[in-house]
Amino acid sequence: MAEATHHEDGQHSNTVRLLGFEITVEGGIYTVVFGGLAILTVIEVLSAEYLKEAIHNAPEAAATLQAIKAILLLGIAIIKSCLVIWFYMHLRDEKRVLAVVLLLPLLIASLSIMYLLAIPPIGYGV
Amino acid sequence: MAELTANQLGAAAHDDNGHLSEEEKNENLKLGVWLYLASEIVIFSIMIVGYIILRINEPAVVEQAHEQLGVGLVTANTFVLLASSFFMVMGLRAMQGGNRAGMLRWIGLTAVGGTVFLIGQYIEYSELAHLGIILGYTDSQWSTLGMRFYAPTFFHGAHVFVGVIWALEVLRRGAKGRYDHNPIGIEMFGLYWHFVDVVWIMLFTLIYLV
Repeated sequence: MAEATHHEDGQHSNTVRLLGFEITVEGGIYTVVFGGLAILTVIEVLSAEYLKEAIHNAPEAAATLQAIKAILLLGIAIIKSCLVIWFYMHLRDEKRVLAVVLLLPLLIASLSIMYLLAIPPIGYGV
Repeated sequence: MAELTANQLGAAAHDDNGHLSEEEKNENLKLGVWLYLASEIVIFSIMIVGYIILRINEPAVVEQAHEQLGVGLVTANTFVLLASSFFMVMGLRAMQGGNRAGMLRWIGLTAVGGTVFLIGQYIEYSELAHLGIILGYTDSQWSTLGMRFYAPTFFHGAHVFVGVIWALEVLRRGAKGRYDHNPIGIEMFGLYWHFVDVVWIMLFTLIYLV
């Protein structure tokens, strides 16, 4: 989607190719990513406020709307996290083993969370 | 053949005295930081699941807390932390380009961003205490929320505090030219700081918005 080229002197380029357009901005890809993070955060907060109001106005559809809200907002948060990890933490330039180092505990933690959410009496359904 | 391969590998990784090359040392340091961050994922996950269980089982308490608090201050704080992550990566970029003054400026801004975030968190905690949302058990409706809210957010705030101290140390060393030829120290701090940012992105959504 977005990529930055390098100057001859090895510094990161200020020119970024984004969705077929070339954008030149101080900071290059890092500035574009920051802009993306800011826009996604605004969308996230506005969506949360809008859906909170919708749930308040339509209590009969509250469960469905709450599920939509959770999935939408967590989806945006995961996209934001991936942007930071991929571009700011430079995972795109690193060895694959670092991705495994990151993903393995995420997988283990996710399985643990699902287990804790499933067992009564502390988990879901009490 | 096997001996030849071992020799070739040794030549690539070590100098004549058997010491690791600078590139190898940098790779090892980065792997160490990533492994440390992986362990942090597990710790934060435990705190997050404690909150999720409360969110599912006692939605009314959380929704009332959301109503009382609003999202204005915490959204502003989120923007501050996102901006500090941007400053951080720009500082590394400046140093990689040989611009020490630029690096000092950007990392300085990173430290300022972290400090502003902590001040915002202090203001938020003061407002929460005023509402009666505290750590200990009380007879109020908030008694189940206190620990589940404060544990992940305070633990994260403690990471921001450590990050600010680390940023100041990077500034001190950077001013002496420590990173002029090898900016790995800045890169390691950057990994930590961006991880703290990622954790906040998830906490902000889970605790304040969902």
